Amino acid sequence: MSEIENKAENGSMESAGECTAGDTKDDKGLGLGVIFFIVAFVVCFLSGTLLFPKLLYSKKEQPFNFDHALHVSEAGDCETCHSLRDDGTFAGIPKLETCLDCHSEDVLGDSKDEAVFVEKYVSKEKEVPWYIYSRQPDSVFFSHAAHIDGAGMDCVTCHGPIGKSTSLKPYEENRITGYSRDIWGKNIFGIKKHSWDRMKMDDCAECHKKETGFKGYCFQCHK
Amino acid sequence: MKQENNKEHKFGMVIDLDKCTGCGSCMVSCMSENNVPFKEDESNKKDSITWMRVYKLTNGKSFPDTETAYLPRPCMHCAGKGGHGHSPCVSVCPATATEYGHDTGIVSQIYTRCFGCRYCMGACPYHARYFNWWDPKWPEGMENYLSPNVSPRMRGVVEKCSFCYHRYQAARDKAYHEGRNDIEENEFQTACTTACPAGAIVFGDLNNPAHKVHQIVKPDPHPDKWNRHVVGKSRNPKVFRLLERLGTNPKIYYLSEREWIRRKGDNYLDGEWDKIKNHHGSSSHG
Amino acid sequence: MKVDRRSFLGLGLGAVAGIAVSPVGLKLTDDSSIWTQNWPWTPVPADGEVIYESSVCSLCPGSCGISVRKIENRPVKIEGRENYPVNNGGACLHGIAGLQYLYDPARVKTPLKKNGDKFEEISWDDAIALVAGKLADLRKSGSPEKFAAILDKEQGSVSGLFKRLFKTFGSPNFYTMPSFESYLEATAAAIHGEGKTIGFDLENADFVLSFGAGIIEGWGSPVNCFQANASRKERRAKLYQIEPNLSNTAANADKWVPIKPGTQADLALGICAVILKNNLFDSNATMNFKGGFNKFAAMLQKDYTPSKTAEITGVKAADIEKIAGLFAKAKKPVAVFGKGRGDGAQSLKELAAVHTLNCLVGNINKKGGVFVKSKNKYLEFPDESMDSIADAGFAKPKAGRYMNQLVEKINSSSKSVVEALFVYNANPCYSLHDTKSVKQALGKIPFIVSFSSFLDETAKEADIILPSHTFIERIEDVPSGAGLAKTVVGLTKPVASPVFNTKNPGDTVILIAKALKGSIAQSFEWESYNECLEGVTARIWDSLSEDGYAVISKGAPIEPAAVNLSFLSGNPPTVQAQGDFGLTLIPIDNMRLINAGAYVSPFAIKTVSDKVLKGKNIVVEINPLTAKGLKNGGFAIITTPIGTARVVVNFNEGLMPGVIGMVEGLGHTFENKYVSNKGVNVNDLIGPVIESGSGLDAAFGIKAKISKA
Repeated sequence: MSEIENKAENGSMESAGECTAGDTKDDKGLGLGVIFFIVAFVVCFLSGTLLFPKLLYSKKEQPFNFDHALHVSEAGDCETCHSLRDDGTFAGIPKLETCLDCHSEDVLGDSKDEAVFVEKYVSKEKEVPWYIYSRQPDSVFFSHAAHIDGAGMDCVTCHGPIGKSTSLKPYEENRITGYSRDIWGKNIFGIKKHSWDRMKMDDCAECHKKETGFKGYCFQCHK
Repeated sequence: MKQENNKEHKFGMVIDLDKCTGCGSCMVSCMSENNVPFKEDESNKKDSITWMRVYKLTNGKSFPDTETAYLPRPCMHCAGKGGHGHSPCVSVCPATATEYGHDTGIVSQIYTRCFGCRYCMGACPYHARYFNWWDPKWPEGMENYLSPNVSPRMRGVVEKCSFCYHRYQAARDKAYHEGRNDIEENEFQTACTTACPAGAIVFGDLNNPAHKVHQIVKPDPHPDKWNRHVVGKSRNPKVFRLLERLGTNPKIYYLSEREWIRRKGDNYLDGEWDKIKNHHGSSSHG
Repeated sequence: MKVDRRSFLGLGLGAVAGIAVSPVGLKLTDDSSIWTQNWPWTPVPADGEVIYESSVCSLCPGSCGISVRKIENRPVKIEGRENYPVNNGGACLHGIAGLQYLYDPARVKTPLKKNGDKFEEISWDDAIALVAGKLADLRKSGSPEKFAAILDKEQGSVSGLFKRLFKTFGSPNFYTMPSFESYLEATAAAIHGEGKTIGFDLENADFVLSFGAGIIEGWGSPVNCFQANASRKERRAKLYQIEPNLSNTAANADKWVPIKPGTQADLALGICAVILKNNLFDSNATMNFKGGFNKFAAMLQKDYTPSKTAEITGVKAADIEKIAGLFAKAKKPVAVFGKGRGDGAQSLKELAAVHTLNCLVGNINKKGGVFVKSKNKYLEFPDESMDSIADAGFAKPKAGRYMNQLVEKINSSSKSVVEALFVYNANPCYSLHDTKSVKQALGKIPFIVSFSSFLDETAKEADIILPSHTFIERIEDVPSGAGLAKTVVGLTKPVASPVFNTKNPGDTVILIAKALKGSIAQSFEWESYNECLEGVTARIWDSLSEDGYAVISKGAPIEPAAVNLSFLSGNPPTVQAQGDFGLTLIPIDNMRLINAGAYVSPFAIKTVSDKVLKGKNIVVEINPLTAKGLKNGGFAIITTPIGTARVVVNFNEGLMPGVIGMVEGLGHTFENKYVSNKGVNVNDLIGPVIESGSGLDAAFGIKAKISKA
């Protein structure tokens, strides 16, 4: 540290002494420094923005593809499968039992995904080990009933237009936290365009502040 | 948009110390409900995590005039001076990991947000807060009985009674789902209340005159005329709060016919009690 | 262009600036903070649909209805069952902590066979074959009566199956541990005749005179008693508690009457004497007394005048007269017996003397009084088939009337009295007086089979362990008893699938019986215990399976109960404490601990005060007047005629001078670090004292001395 300081001091004294002769040399040095700075800046910035997410997230494929759009058109709205139980708790990703309300060991359609479903899960009576994009830490409490029944919100506001998707995107798991990329949002800067782009605490608080005038207190969303 | 029920509740409890038998059901029910861990030696009560703790009181007289009683102590959910939510623990938390819920009167917290400075423990006059000196460990297989409604805590954080907030959430979920705006008295009861075999604990909304707790406590709507910081004082002369004169405004009230027990509720100087006991309760309001 | 150091400085600065402006820093900070809040070793309980299943707790004779909260198929919480006729929503701490027993570190995970000092795992088939082989040999040798059993109780179909096995095998040596129910039956037998039991209508009584009954210490059906006691305030009913120490019941009572240990019988008789002298008795009731009412009255007026009684008991004569007056003049008085929980040692003289008070005031079979009921006979087993060996063996006399006599007989005879022993739901090596001699007796038995779910003190002495399901994993009928006024049979249901390789004890007995072949197997023709249960409870099965319980009787019995005072009229001697030290050590029951049957859970022991257990040391209570030379909180040595123990002393003004109080339920010695090797088992220090006439172990305590350690 002190060496660098010394150099810097020496340098400035030199330039003060040879102000006429050393001009060009110094300019070139500075120019190169600037170029180096810019190059390094750009490289690091780009790798931090483009490469870093690739390293941070591991991609996992869902057990098989699922066509939400098809199911919505065949079965009805979101709540047909993602229902609230009688006690007001949210059942989450449907269990095999719910699927079997329509499906059976006979394949209904002609997709190979359904064949996988029937062969690997229905006939073996095994639950499908879906990766859940919106899974939150254990300390988080979220009441679907309060938002759907109480506040009259729709699913899209937080979950986006999943109902219109025909395929499942790969599940990107944060290697550090173990949670899905969807919690922070696709944008690595955390910038969101839609209300459903992020699912962080601040996003909950922002909406609560707007809608109820108060961001809420600990236990409202934590357990 | 249907508004979430924003009627202001003030949940509180009155514990009948003449009915309390010191059996310990409330303590175990609390531990079982809230995933409280246990360790090999729990006889050092300073590091033994018991959100609900039952203290033994004695009148200090010698045989055969000795009398004893038990006093269950959950978190007091203090409303702070003047009842404005300035609870002793909340006001000192540097992490905003604990807050006063103005719509419930419940002092809430985020365990994962706590970084373990323990200021709140120092601030709490009731020793209601506990620190996790160790990571919780269960014997092989025993994690299987843990409840998903309360997240298990880790080493280095402070925890305390939550008035079983998850039961409030569950009751509200059900109410929302059934299109009701508010919950019934019996829909939200803490685990200690329902477990008490003697029925010594009465829990409910102190703001709701229809609730039993309100009817027993009869909270004074006006601040105490001797101490403006004290609000919600009971107008029942048999009812008292712990260290009431501090102005922490606890929402746990105690009921006893026995004067020596009521006197244990605070540290009185010589002669002070005789004045206080006359000012206490209904006589202070009439 | 010259590349100098300054350019590299630019490179470095550019890199730093680039990273700083990129999201890396922010994101890593956020992620790492989330990481620190979600340690992988902190469990995350799985969520799912909540369901409630009702069952019955059989940890103690209280038989409370429970409601088990489950997430999908996983039990997470036990609570009291609303509207259950015994406990109406209430629960005690042990029942609430019941799930901890499922995963108890001391559970026996699979059948075990002892090899030398160690247990080895063995298959169920091999274990059953081995037990049946040993038993068949014993039977062949011509002495089937040398096969004995120790169970916790006589009631219920599992006990019924054990009894049936013993009868068809040809052995009369079926024993049960002392229990409150057994004392109720003994009291009823002494005064009202055989085949009866007693219930106390505490919830309707207006004056309860309790001779040390720990009404809120786990006596009777604990939760029911808690509720009856709590309602006292609204009902304006009174409770007078007579005992040497200020127990929780005494502290909660309207009046505590301190009494010299072991003199409750004398006080009860003294009160009887005042009631008779002052003509306060119900003459309609006494008209039908048999067994020498006049002789009894004369004996009382001679031996139990108030002044004589005061001298024996330490209760003032004026107080005796006052209590007698209050009791006799109350509208619905009840006198209750059974010191502490009522399941420890008791003297029949005391039980009968206290109950005579009830008879004198004529509250038998009246609301708010005492119900003398026929023993609960809801089970209907088909007739056994008995071969000649069974007939001959079963007709032989028992080796002893009660457990303690069996132990004494085994220890005192050189010939083997018992060749094979079954132990189920009982831990005599821990909960009988003088545990050393109990272990010695068990050591003399060549073949012991334990049906315990846990490797407790007695199971450790076994040669084979056939582990049973816990009450959370099995089906069983659970009859109420323990002094409850009404009679209810509940159904314990398997609310969790078995965690380990265990069986329902009913199934195990059936398997053993089948393996013994012949007439024994013919008496056990059920495919499984489930089938047996449904058959033998056929009369109430619909109600049991649909409601989870069946109410057999409620309200006062209609038939009058005969009263015979011949046991008392001869004034049998009052039992004295063993030894001649200056102080008396008495056991103290604490609701937060368990001393018979099961043992305490980690949650329950966590609630125990540091004035009872401090670290690994038991804390004893002593009046400061008696504690000369001792320091409050300091160590001391207690010596009794049968043992010594190092303890911590706690000065307690709530204890009569001259008495040392030691809690029951500590000092276990098996592999469970949460509850074992803490404190002292009071039964190591107290020896049995057999009451002449009844044969019961009636040691209420023992003489002791205490000195600074």
